[in-house]
Amino acid sequence: MEKIISVKEWTLAIRLNHWAMALSIFILIVTGFYIATPFTITQGETVDKFFMGNVRFVHLLFGVFLVFLFIWRIYLAFFSRFHADWKDFLAFTNIKNFIHQIKFYLLITKEGPEYKTLYGPLQSLAYLGLLFMVFVICITGLILMGAGYHAGLTSVAYTILRPVENLLGGLATVRYIHHVFTWFFVLFIVVHIYMAFWYDFVLKKGTVSSMISGNVFKKVKE
Amino acid sequence: MAKGNNSDYKKMIDKHYKDLMKHCQSHMEQVEKTLPEPRENLHELLKERGITRRDFVKWTSAMTAALMLPPIFKPMVAKAAENFSRIPVVWLHFAECTGCTEALLRSSYPNVDDILLETISLEYHETLMAASGYQAKECLDKALRDFSGKFICVIEGAIPMGLDGKYLTIGPKGKTGLEIAKEVTSKAAATICIGSCSAFGGIQAANPNPTDAVSIKKAIGIPTVNIAGCPPNVVNFTGTLLHYIMFGGLPAQDGLGRPIWAYGKRIHDYCERRPHYDASEYVNEWGDAGALKGWCLYKVGCKGPYTYANCGRVRFNEGISWPIMAGHGCIGCTEPAFWDTMAPLEKPLPDKSFNNREATVDNIGIALTGITALGIAAHATATALRHKDEDQATKQEVKHHE
Ligand code: SF4
Ligand code: SF4
Repeated sequence: MEKIISVKEWTLAIRLNHWAMALSIFILIVTGFYIATPFTITQGETVDKFFMGNVRFVHLLFGVFLVFLFIWRIYLAFFSRFHADWKDFLAFTNIKNFIHQIKFYLLITKEGPEYKTLYGPLQSLAYLGLLFMVFVICITGLILMGAGYHAGLTSVAYTILRPVENLLGGLATVRYIHHVFTWFFVLFIVVHIYMAFWYDFVLKKGTVSSMISGNVFKKVKE
Repeated sequence: MAKGNNSDYKKMIDKHYKDLMKHCQSHMEQVEKTLPEPRENLHELLKERGITRRDFVKWTSAMTAALMLPPIFKPMVAKAAENFSRIPVVWLHFAECTGCTEALLRSSYPNVDDILLETISLEYHETLMAASGYQAKECLDKALRDFSGKFICVIEGAIPMGLDGKYLTIGPKGKTGLEIAKEVTSKAAATICIGSCSAFGGIQAANPNPTDAVSIKKAIGIPTVNIAGCPPNVVNFTGTLLHYIMFGGLPAQDGLGRPIWAYGKRIHDYCERRPHYDASEYVNEWGDAGALKGWCLYKVGCKGPYTYANCGRVRFNEGISWPIMAGHGCIGCTEPAFWDTMAPLEKPLPDKSFNNREATVDNIGIALTGITALGIAAHATATALRHKDEDQATKQEVKHHE
């Protein structure tokens, strides 16, 4: 006989981190595109207007927020008391599973590979990539922010990161990288949302709701 | 800062400046003793050119402020200016357009900076000297002999490294730029790179860089002070030399060798159009209504946000104007490899196109997102078909249980 039980997969911390990141990234993409391609939307005297200023404030605020969320996520990956998942990010090193997983995604096989890790082989690569993207966008963001604000922690970060700026070839290049990576985020989000629903449909484990409730469903033999 | 600390802080600053003043005074005495007499009498020269004492005093204030020194240093700046022509200078030209020299020397209404530059004791300057060929070589050798370890080497132009440096040969003996640079800088007290070419490679180092031109620092591996700009502001050059005369050392520099007093802040941070930037008021096209109102030039390609320079503060031609004031965006000429990294010069950075086609990062991004959406739609349909029977099977299973 088979029974379906509900198993805890995500801690509250991971779920909070996930949604806070999702919200910040969404706001950052919208404000970011405005900063890249601004347009005049308000009328009146210049003294009464501060639209770009406000947009940049929101962008910086959530940018700094993202930096701390990133640090928190890395901390959880190593020190979570429930499940420190840093090893699971390396699931892609299992080549056999990797190929099997691709076949599963391409609908060649009907069942995916068996793995004990939290993420599948392709997932692990995608999430490692996401962490790398967040890292790059935070570093380039901090450089761009530090170039204009010369006080507090910002200037400390900028002093440390200025050599990176010079290495990359100046602020213009840093800003270009920042822009290109924004597009990577857009692409990631589209695929990520689709894959979550796809898993939900194919495996019927409640993948989508698990990021809210924390639990997935599993079939067990009695 | 808390009020209690404020006076401590002030005391600290005062002490710092007093020490600096002492250092300055003793160094200037040293200069007056050891270096040759000034070649020219600055004040006579100024009078000749119709510059009054008052203008000179005004200039000292401006220069002191530009150097980020407090007003007590004004007399020292004036003294340094009088002693300007004591410092022997060897001025070398490598791969470049001589635009920097032109810009520094050809002003229709020379101001104090320009005149100061005229008094400079040039031992060797290819554009200006009468000698040529072997005679010129002789001059250089003499300068190196007479002022070994004392002269300042000013370099204009990049060094082509390709073909063993043979893309650039100078003088009767056909020495390569690299050889000359090595020989002269090894005997110089300090090397100042003037212009973006010697500082960062400049236009000949821009893509595709056929001669493999590089900056002086890269070519010979010595530390240089980089007065970046294409061309640089004369104030940044005279200021650096004045600093050298006053303190016996070159001013503090950023990671790219640019003096911080001149290149410490971005164009964007001192731009008079900045309030329009923050207010979302942009010039969309040359000559539109926004342009008439003096709005921000970001959308017509201003690179001020990525450029460290003081153009907006010191301006050009006796402080009459500067590029952004005149209505064109900054092109980022003080930054390394700006011909490549700041392109396109009259459009925002993300409008950089690949292979001169229409493709920009935004176009590519939109296309990729579209393709991904299509792929998702196809994949979803295929999944529905492929996993359909399985779906029914589970449903049946469920029924079975019931
Ligand atoms: S004109 Fe250029 S430097 Fe000035 S505020 Fe606009 S973007 Fe910044
Ligand atoms: S405004 Fe910009 S491009 Fe123009 S001279 Fe200054 S740094 Fe160079």
